[in-house]
Amino acid sequence: MGLSEHIVMRELDVPAINDFEVYRRHGGWEAYRMALKEKNPADIVAMVKESGLRGRGGAGFPTGIKWGFLPKGVYPRYLLCNCDESEPGTFNNHQIIDRNPHQLIEGVALSAFAIECHTAYIYMRGEFAAAAITLERAIAAAYRAGFLGKNILGTGFDLDIYVHRGAGAYICGEETALMESLEGKIGQPRLKPPFPAVAGLYGKPTIINNVETLANVPRIVEKGVAWYRSHGTEKSPGTKCFSLSGHVNRPGNYELPFGVPLRELIESPEYGGGMRGGRPVKIIIPGGASAPWLTHQHLDVPLDYESVAAAGSMLGSGAVIVLDDTVKAPHVAYKMDEFFKHESCGKCTPCREGTHWLVRVLHRIAEEGHAVPEDIPTLHSIYNQMAGNCFCLLGESAVMPIKSALTLFPEEFEAIVAASRGHPHGNGHGDGRRGPVIPLTAKP
Amino acid sequence: MLLETHRADIETILSRYDSRRSAVLPLLYLAQDTYGHLTDAAIREVAAILDLPPTDVFEVVGFYTLFYNRPVGTWVLQVCDDVPCCYLGAEELITALKQSLGIAEEQTTGDGMFTVQRVKCLAACDRAPVLQANLDYVYDVTPERVNTLLDNLRARAAEARQRGVSGRFAEDFEWGPDGALVQIDRAAPYRPRQFPAAPPPAPPPPEPVPEADAGHDRPADRKASPL
Repeated sequence: MGLSEHIVMRELDVPAINDFEVYRRHGGWEAYRMALKEKNPADIVAMVKESGLRGRGGAGFPTGIKWGFLPKGVYPRYLLCNCDESEPGTFNNHQIIDRNPHQLIEGVALSAFAIECHTAYIYMRGEFAAAAITLERAIAAAYRAGFLGKNILGTGFDLDIYVHRGAGAYICGEETALMESLEGKIGQPRLKPPFPAVAGLYGKPTIINNVETLANVPRIVEKGVAWYRSHGTEKSPGTKCFSLSGHVNRPGNYELPFGVPLRELIESPEYGGGMRGGRPVKIIIPGGASAPWLTHQHLDVPLDYESVAAAGSMLGSGAVIVLDDTVKAPHVAYKMDEFFKHESCGKCTPCREGTHWLVRVLHRIAEEGHAVPEDIPTLHSIYNQMAGNCFCLLGESAVMPIKSALTLFPEEFEAIVAASRGHPHGNGHGDGRRGPVIPLTAKP
Repeated sequence: MLLETHRADIETILSRYDSRRSAVLPLLYLAQDTYGHLTDAAIREVAAILDLPPTDVFEVVGFYTLFYNRPVGTWVLQVCDDVPCCYLGAEELITALKQSLGIAEEQTTGDGMFTVQRVKCLAACDRAPVLQANLDYVYDVTPERVNTLLDNLRARAAEARQRGVSGRFAEDFEWGPDGALVQIDRAAPYRPRQFPAAPPPAPPPPEPVPEADAGHDRPADRKASPL
């Protein structure tokens, strides 16, 4: 069930689509021109609302409804495009921009018109340095053609779009941390409410949308709501750019309608092309590092927000990592939590300390092979103290890998405990008995 | 002084924001490229341009990983070691780099040419193992390509010194059919990666290696310690 026509990754097979004129010849910038000349901002908001477009950054919140939260009559407003893509497994924003920057810029411009804002920032993670240059060149071309700037196409609409590079912090993908970073501060999340739509960047009403979300907008406006809703499912209309990685033959970005089964994404020769070396699937992480894990039993789960949630995980950013039976679950949990430990901003204690202790225990278990029976309840205890006690979702996300590993593969932890000869430094009694090596007592 | 050498750049950057403070990250990149790394004087200079207390700028430098407040090599090599890269050759790549250069992670070679770092997700999981050299992506860096890569980078050292380590003039690289490093054409269409028909077997999982320690081989009949 392939797509006859791509929405997000459209014209990626056209050479030089990053050029303004080439994009224009393929119908690009037309939705924006038409909207400015013939439509009101409210029409565009209504279209996006009716299209059922949901945020692709992870939460899946309906975009049109988010736009509707803006207080009436309060200006200036800001539009921020979130391109701080840096969760293990995610890599589609980068490639959308690398190959077709104009589509994103048109989406940003159209959305800015819809929410009546005159300054938009595209916040890119610092590592996307070359992509930032690609984007800046494309923005410059749009200015030259009169599609950005003052009095655009004679309609009286003004819009400036700027690229702002972060400097290496995953947490800046959290929307309030992104605004802090854009204001020149360290990227620590803000307390909500007030929500960004009410008081965001510089305290002004602000809308933050993901790259892939905004890249959908031109096609919705151009081809209409009915056409858009003919893709995907009732509750998850449209398509998703799945970033497939891990032990598959053809890792890459594949745009599919919502609802395609995992098995098809992994095994179809058009997409994943099966597992490398024909090995069995062991762990599937369907929505980036923060999604609970699935296993080979879930290969028939359709990839849409509701079905993946029903299977006990989340579709998140659509970053599907597939690992085969050569990996060990404790080691995957260790590497994942090492990521979250490194990226914890340090604001709240449960996350800052919890990720640190998880990694310390997991490092000993997974890398050194030393484990004592108390380690397993200790791990449960640490993540239980983190869950629900953190300011933003990073702390919650760090719980998922270890919780999944302990739930789905408890025998692997027990095997390490059984095979382990205890901590190399003993328990202080000098008789070789195992003893608790991490002086962390579980609290009820 | 930055204001004398880059006044036009600084004015352009400041004009983009409704608050001067927002320009702190772009100005720090500029200072880092101008001075090689962010010296205390450079950080104070950025603070002065933006009328900020210097501590605020020191805090920002400390928070973000792409700001270096100590000297780094001409090329900063940053290898992604996250899932899934770590199962697709990232560890082998780090080992090969360390062996070729004779340094450990976070160290700089004696000639000041290379710094090697492990970093977290570079968002290029489909092209693992992957690294960034001064934020230029280099995809599919298998260990046998390490020496070709290092030779290529050494030959471009003068260019790297001119461009700086902050990626303000970055380009991305992949490997041509003849095994040479080639700059990616920004205008080329997107193609998903295709492994060769007979894929290499997945690397074996890292086996837990018990540490050599006397405690392990302690005879069972050894007397209990009086403690």
